[in-house]
Amino acid sequence: MMKNSFSPARLKHRLSFGMMLLLAVTIGAGLSSCNSQKKLAKKKAEQELAEKTAKAKADLLAILNDDGKMTLEEKEFKLAAVKRMNLDNQEIKDLIGQAEEKLNRERAALEKKKEEDRLQREKEAREREMRESGPYRNINLALDAVGNASDISTANMKIREALVNFAGDDVPVLILISKEGEDSDYDKPTTIRKYLEFLKDQKKSPNKVLNAVFDANGKIKELELIKK
Amino acid sequence: MMKIKAFFLILAFSAIGSQLAAQDVLSPSRKQAIDSLALEKVRDLSKYISIIGNKDTPWSEANRVIERTLELFADGAMMGVSSINREEVNYYGVREYLERLMALNYDRVNIQWYNIQYISDLERQPDGKYVGVITIYQRFEGVTKEGLKYVDVTKKDVTVYVERKTTQISGRIIGFWDVMLGDIRVTETKPGN
Repeated sequence: MMKNSFSPARLKHRLSFGMMLLLAVTIGAGLSSCNSQKKLAKKKAEQELAEKTAKAKADLLAILNDDGKMTLEEKEFKLAAVKRMNLDNQEIKDLIGQAEEKLNRERAALEKKKEEDRLQREKEAREREMRESGPYRNINLALDAVGNASDISTANMKIREALVNFAGDDVPVLILISKEGEDSDYDKPTTIRKYLEFLKDQKKSPNKVLNAVFDANGKIKELELIKK
Repeated sequence: MMKIKAFFLILAFSAIGSQLAAQDVLSPSRKQAIDSLALEKVRDLSKYISIIGNKDTPWSEANRVIERTLELFADGAMMGVSSINREEVNYYGVREYLERLMALNYDRVNIQWYNIQYISDLERQPDGKYVGVITIYQRFEGVTKEGLKYVDVTKKDVTVYVERKTTQISGRIIGFWDVMLGDIRVTETKPGN
């Protein structure tokens, strides 16, 4: 007769051992899974950082190499986005510094240009005002009066009246026929006496005052005209 | 040292060359401005001729306008004169033509120029001047004391020369276009009505 080797005490002991083993395996497996998740997360974070860094570098280089395709605002927006990433990367920090320097220069140039444009617009407005309502208005009226005179004696009288505004009969008169950038083209310069006689002969007044230079006595010493 | 001198010489010549090239090639709008200027001078001449020929113009005024008219012409320019009563065309210096016009033996003279236009565009010549030809039609009407009327219509070709020059005014260098009229040739004469 076989002797029963599985006594209740021994069975209990073996079951306890089995349970312990199972618990140890479970804990071991759990610990291993946690470690690999950490590694995965770390790897993911590293990958994200690399991607962010690459994008930041690409954006910064785009700003630095831009030759006018992007507006200043677009570049400033890109730079701000890169700075918000707070990347702890020396290369990126250097590029940010260079980009800031470049955009500051561009901003300053743009502001300067805006100011120049504003001053130019003001100057043009002043000149227009002078032509159309200021002291130039009287000169224009005087020129038109000669061109519209009905007969020779009236024209001669209007010429005498007009000449009162000038420093002399020989005051130079320039007639601008074309202006393109720095290139100004004039008709052959004449004198105010000859110009007024031209208006009388041609019975027309085709030009208006563009600019007049006055002497200390308030008389015109140089007149620049342009086609009406 | 020689290399540096050569470099600066090349640089100076390039600068002068580029300036000359800029003068050579005029933009369409600048060219148009010059075309219009030359055409305007011919229109001015037409008015001056009308004033000089007009018997109502005082003698002193006519003489003043003659001087002004002469300023439009290049030295030595000739003016063609034709008549429906003869085959040949006579050519006179501009002053002689204008003085003969002023002294024409009519009681009333009316001269009108019309259809003033380019038949040959202003073209740049090797010497830098621009040369073109403008054609005009002139209707001449002369009425004698007796009421006899002579009318003809003449087609004339005016050669125009345009040259870029500079002058100094109040210390500033001014670039201007000097338009000079050359010979005026008669190409056709017909009786008018």
